[in-house]
Amino acid sequence: MAKYLYNEEAVANLKLGDTSVLDRLVDFESARAAHLQKEHAKKDKRMPLDEAIATFVKDGDIITDGGFSYVRTPHQAFYEIIRQGKKNLQMIGAPNTNQSFFITYGLVTHSHSSYTGAEMRGIDKIYDRALKAGKFTILSEWSHGGVAQGFKAAQLGVPGFFSKQMLGSDLVRYNPYLKVVQHPLKAEKDPSVFVPALYPDVSIIHCHAADKYGNAYIYGPAVNDLAVAAAARKLIITAEEIVPENDIRYNKQGQIIPFFYADAVVEMPFGALPGSMPGCYYWPRQWWEKCMRFGGSSEENNLAFCNEWILGTKNQYEFIEKLGGARWIAEARRQTKAAEADNEDIDFSYDEYTLTHDPGRYY
Amino acid sequence: MRDLNAPANPLETLAYIIAQQIENHSIVYIGTGIPMVAGILAKKTHAPDITLVYESGGQDPIEGDMPWSVGCPMTWRKSPTIMEMSYSFAQSYNGYVDIGFLGFAQVDMYGNINTHMIGKDYHHPKVRLTGSGGNNDLSSLTEKMVLVGLQTPDKFPEKVDFATSVGWLEGGDSRKEAGLIGNGPAAVISPWGVYDFHPTSKRMRVKSLTPGVNFELAQQLTGFELLKPDGDIPETKLITPECLKVIRTEVDPRGVFTTMPS
Repeated sequence: MAKYLYNEEAVANLKLGDTSVLDRLVDFESARAAHLQKEHAKKDKRMPLDEAIATFVKDGDIITDGGFSYVRTPHQAFYEIIRQGKKNLQMIGAPNTNQSFFITYGLVTHSHSSYTGAEMRGIDKIYDRALKAGKFTILSEWSHGGVAQGFKAAQLGVPGFFSKQMLGSDLVRYNPYLKVVQHPLKAEKDPSVFVPALYPDVSIIHCHAADKYGNAYIYGPAVNDLAVAAAARKLIITAEEIVPENDIRYNKQGQIIPFFYADAVVEMPFGALPGSMPGCYYWPRQWWEKCMRFGGSSEENNLAFCNEWILGTKNQYEFIEKLGGARWIAEARRQTKAAEADNEDIDFSYDEYTLTHDPGRYY
Repeated sequence: MRDLNAPANPLETLAYIIAQQIENHSIVYIGTGIPMVAGILAKKTHAPDITLVYESGGQDPIEGDMPWSVGCPMTWRKSPTIMEMSYSFAQSYNGYVDIGFLGFAQVDMYGNINTHMIGKDYHHPKVRLTGSGGNNDLSSLTEKMVLVGLQTPDKFPEKVDFATSVGWLEGGDSRKEAGLIGNGPAAVISPWGVYDFHPTSKRMRVKSLTPGVNFELAQQLTGFELLKPDGDIPETKLITPECLKVIRTEVDPRGVFTTMPS
């Protein structure tokens, strides 16, 4: 591991005593070594989810995900990490919404902050409460674009980017990885922020289809996935379906993650649940409202909610049964197709969950 | 179905005022919520040739229902292309976004934004908020920014508790000297008024006020000294019956973002 000269003001502002906890995220040499050591041959990498998590997620790892908050995010794989009780994890992402599930169980102890919350459904009171209780430490503050550039720099094979984002803001004063530098060619003063390439330990990406080698197809927004697939030391692909390699070669145009990044390929229908999956299923909207409103209202309620849905289910099929089974599947598919104009327009009104009204259904 | 005869509520008024900032033929970077209503309202009324873009990477989607999230299919509905996140901000840097809208929990006298935390101690905030998301990126890069939010003295403090995003920084030329791109914040819109920034000092200044609000009341709702424009303060133009009907029948017929919480 190389030695790093972090932004000292940020280290002091964040009250980080030992900065070695910061190193692996930016350590190119160990990431490249991991990439060289992993299987480069086109081999069958299929395995069950529990084996993939047990093999490739270690205590202390820096984890990131694909998708966007709760769109095509690998929630079911995350829940398996929680069931297996992996500890001392760091999380980074843009957004970084899903760390709160881990923080609830004390499994994520270090957070690289970019955005935590549920948009119109408000701030994440679970994160707020846990921060005040000292249940985790913030290691760095980012904008979405800053994190995206760090991952993209790793994918494009450069030590970092000169960015015009985050300049002058408190993000630079609360992010040890960022330093303000002068444009080396410009005669006049022209500051940029140096954003280093970011190398998480594990990326988990849920995709629409993958072959057994790990060529993985994404439909809809790719967000940061092509970058985090390349950046991570280890990559777990979960896929709605496993298809023959020729299906990828002949039929799947667009955004493909190449097989050599992948360490494990998991067949995982409904792997994004309770998130949405473009082309496949819409959100169980009431689930998220209950998560944020009921879970947000007290730590006891949050734990009861997570215990019921995360520890109380063994897999995605039990999760679907709780959401309403085949009826839920049919409604969720109908809604997502209508949202994409692939169906006649339907009425998107629904019976919202509030603290005084639990509709008891999720579609 | 919504009552078409009811008087306009503050959210509908806000959507209209925001929409008036949008010029035809421009590329508009949109967050969900009221700016989304405003963008589609503008497109259906005075600015039919605008292009809406979203942080999901969605470019020029076909309008549909109100989206449930920035990643909702409604933000990339049959988009000719969907770009990656790093690209979506680069679009602003490279000069392919004309105007963007940002929300805030706090905005200060120089248009700097806080969406991180309320309180004086970072490690022990009164409340922790969402963090930046794309807020900082857009404020750093976009040619013209319009800031939208509620107005109380706590939400309009002299100095924000955490500078998530830079507006005019410390006023004068400080934004440019810090290396930031674009023309900085052009306007702040609250239910009570529309504010701009003094051309040289870059301090917040009243531009127009909602009918019934005078300068003294606006000042009482602000935690720093507001600048007064030369001459009389104009009243903010209120929503027309035609635009109100478009909001209620076409843009947000279910009132997802433009009905008042009960």
